[in-house]
Amino acid sequence: MTGALVLAGVAVIAVGGAIACARVALVAGLYTQALGAALLGGGGLAALVDGDPAGAAFSGQLEPRLGVDPLSGLFLLTLGVVGAPALVFATRYLERSRSSCVVGGLTSVFLLAMALVVCGRDPLTFLAGWELMSVAPAAAILVTRGASRGARHTVFVYIALTHLAGVGTWVAVLLLADAGALDAPGAVETGSGLQAAVAIAAVVGMGTKAGLMPLHTWLPRAHPIAPAHVSALMSGVMIKIAIYGLVRVLAEWAGVVPVWIGVLVVALGALSAVGGVVYALFQHDLKRLLAFHSVENIGIIVLGLGACLLFRARGAEAWAAVALAAALLHTLNHAVFKALLFLGAGAFEKAVGSLELDRLGGLLRRMPVAGGAFLVGAVAIAGLPPLNGFASEWATLQALLHVTVLGRVGDGVVGAVALAVLASTAALALFCFVKVIGLVLLGPPRRDACREAHDAPLAMSGGMVFLAGSCLALGVVPGLLFDSLTRVEPWTTAAGPRVGLELPSGASLPTGGIVVVLAVAAGALLLVRRGRGAAGRAPTWACGQLVEPALGWTSAGFTKPLRLVLETVLRPRREIVVSWRTGVVQRVSYAGAVPHLFDVHLYRPVTRAAITAAAHARRLQSGRLGTYVGYLILLVVVLLALAKWGVVG
Amino acid sequence: MTAAGGVAAAVQVVGGVVLAPLLPGLVQHWKARLQGRRGPTPLQPYRELRRLWGKSVIDVEDTTLVYRAAPAVAAAAAFAAVLLVPVAAGAPNLGLGHDLLALAGLLALVRLVVTLAAWDVANGFSLMGASRDLTIAVFVEATLLLSLAVAALFAGTTDLAVVIGATAGSAPWESPALPLAAVAFALVAVAETGRQPIDNPDTHLELTMIHEGPLLEYGGRDLAMLHWVAAARHWLVLVLAAQVFLPHLTSAWGQLALLPALLVAGCAGLALAETLVAKMRILLAPRLLGAGAAIALLGVAAWLAEST
Repeated sequence: MTGALVLAGVAVIAVGGAIACARVALVAGLYTQALGAALLGGGGLAALVDGDPAGAAFSGQLEPRLGVDPLSGLFLLTLGVVGAPALVFATRYLERSRSSCVVGGLTSVFLLAMALVVCGRDPLTFLAGWELMSVAPAAAILVTRGASRGARHTVFVYIALTHLAGVGTWVAVLLLADAGALDAPGAVETGSGLQAAVAIAAVVGMGTKAGLMPLHTWLPRAHPIAPAHVSALMSGVMIKIAIYGLVRVLAEWAGVVPVWIGVLVVALGALSAVGGVVYALFQHDLKRLLAFHSVENIGIIVLGLGACLLFRARGAEAWAAVALAAALLHTLNHAVFKALLFLGAGAFEKAVGSLELDRLGGLLRRMPVAGGAFLVGAVAIAGLPPLNGFASEWATLQALLHVTVLGRVGDGVVGAVALAVLASTAALALFCFVKVIGLVLLGPPRRDACREAHDAPLAMSGGMVFLAGSCLALGVVPGLLFDSLTRVEPWTTAAGPRVGLELPSGASLPTGGIVVVLAVAAGALLLVRRGRGAAGRAPTWACGQLVEPALGWTSAGFTKPLRLVLETVLRPRREIVVSWRTGVVQRVSYAGAVPHLFDVHLYRPVTRAAITAAAHARRLQSGRLGTYVGYLILLVVVLLALAKWGVVG
Repeated sequence: MTAAGGVAAAVQVVGGVVLAPLLPGLVQHWKARLQGRRGPTPLQPYRELRRLWGKSVIDVEDTTLVYRAAPAVAAAAAFAAVLLVPVAAGAPNLGLGHDLLALAGLLALVRLVVTLAAWDVANGFSLMGASRDLTIAVFVEATLLLSLAVAALFAGTTDLAVVIGATAGSAPWESPALPLAAVAFALVAVAETGRQPIDNPDTHLELTMIHEGPLLEYGGRDLAMLHWVAAARHWLVLVLAAQVFLPHLTSAWGQLALLPALLVAGCAGLALAETLVAKMRILLAPRLLGAGAAIALLGVAAWLAEST
């Protein structure tokens, strides 16, 4: 049944893509693709719950083979859960034009490429899908925004970085195929040079695609300029497919990796988690902020994966399964709430016109359904009970704590530091999303467009409400999925599905109980709140001060204490210009920015060096025929000399 | 469920809900005495709550459900946290488990709704307090989890009922790990209860308020619920300090018997700290908490050195 569902899904998506390319049938094409994505998701869920692989097994030969196993099933489920609402959203989001039809067709290519990577069972299919998956959203961006020079430059940066790093992916997969590790995971020896090379190459290649710091710079540039549903798919699914690749290489094909690789992965995860959220706090554009949060959550997922590798290196297989399950659960959870947030951002942009955080406000009263769903997504990503972000962060924290409980000094300190970093990340994410919810949804509207905004159409808000409901469902009953996720790798058997989460150490998270107590207590207190008298209506008191839109708090003001505390690390720039006339202040202008350290100290010097080297190399191309003939003669002479000495031929 | 467990559950619920306001009352009473004033009786918070309960709530114009529901959700989350923190080893599960990471999550939920309400009313002073509260919370979270992690290392699990049993007696105090974690938790206790040197609970100057700021627009039963939440945070933090980070007895009955004395000692400690130390500059508070986190990390290293 799994195979049938997956094949049906793929076929329906392909048909939908073809239909969408005709202008009159764009909406029908998108709905068909949504149905296909839902079928794929259903097939993935069946594969995950079944536990048995379907289709072909892995092989190192370069002939196309396809198959589905529980790990692939999880990522197909993610694709379905995110893809279906995003495509339904796109039916009303995309305007009727030639470029929208092309985007509709490209979306189906994107979905099929991601499904190809996840179902590919040989190096050829895997790598072909990988490359196609990178190119499809770039094409979609160029079609919608190709007129703007900035967008073209961003797409260039995205493709360049992805392909430079793609070397790592190709090297890792082809080395593993050559060593025969794809079908026999024990083929690579622990501690060998091949394993180290494969691991480093995979971390660089797949880590860039996932958006790990310091290789993340394409993510905050590319995600904001894509159409909303493509952003949701990129942030929700594409970077997770990169995680799929990392899990396959590091946790399956490369055998049991040594402790230092586990520590490296944990360190990169911690850096991404805290770096992503700190830079997210100081953004002024909603989509760019959400893109930085994707970097943060990829860091959290990679922390779980690193803990899994450390447990395997130390022989604690049961806990390795738990850590991997925590990382995979967070993969699904993040896909759900990040897609919800990007779709919400798209709905707001369509209603109001701009996503500048300081120029929004009051959207919860004017767009209750879309705003309410966005609120649920924001609370979920901040990692609070009873929603799904809390459940997976809880499991990751437990895994990191258990790394310390295991008792080796080096690992233990690494685990404790990672625990502290993840705790700070959770608090920073809370800070950031209080700011986002407050500026976007609450308070007085700061522009006329916000005052006159209407709620999003049913297709757009329907998709968002479905994702918000999934956040709540995954938060209340994570145990059902967690059990299947611990059985993804053939290391251990789990105890059986239950509502909350339970771990081998005896720690448990009774999510059902928490939700019931919170709901009952909050409901009772809300009923009691009013009391006998009527509530007094009044404007905001503000301690007797004047309440004016011009005195409203901005994003920069709200985050100022943190900016001052982290000044030495962030080096924020500030420029204040006061203009006087005859002793009276006429104008004060303020400009401030938090520069991106990685851009300034890593990417710009490297790019400048590369361009200088290319300029020097260009001197070889003098344009004169005589020089080129001279090069040819030199080459022939060198080859003849090498042949004489027996090196060549 | 044993008799000791039943009594522990009763003490937990009654103490957390009804007796919690007594704790800040005791701190204020002793602080006044130490400062040479007569001061209010320890029962003053109950009078406050009764006065506020009889007044009507305020419906601020142009606000959404977030403003109206925030005190109720905050009180519900604090109530859930009270049901979660056991007062003795072997206390029964009241439906929420005893996980310390879940406790941190519920406290964060309280912080979320209160700071969101500040945005909803768009009161500048509320937002100032909210932004400072959230900044300090970043460092408090790390220190709180690290110090509780040291305690969890002794038990091998994050279940608080087991942790209380594992840190009982005199054996855990022989290594430096638990004393170091206790020092770090003392800093967290001061921050979570909003006491000096991190925050001033007596201030009426809006520019110096941190956790009091978002409360400015509330009145009546809403404000009563928020005052109870502050008292519940005192209860949670002092119970954890008493039953995990101070020397306590091994048997459940002994822990229950000693609990009132330890709670009173905790209140006295907070009053003394508030009298001896002045409020520090807000932007230096993260450094103090960061030092606390480093001390807790030293505690982890000490435990690792002892156990291998």
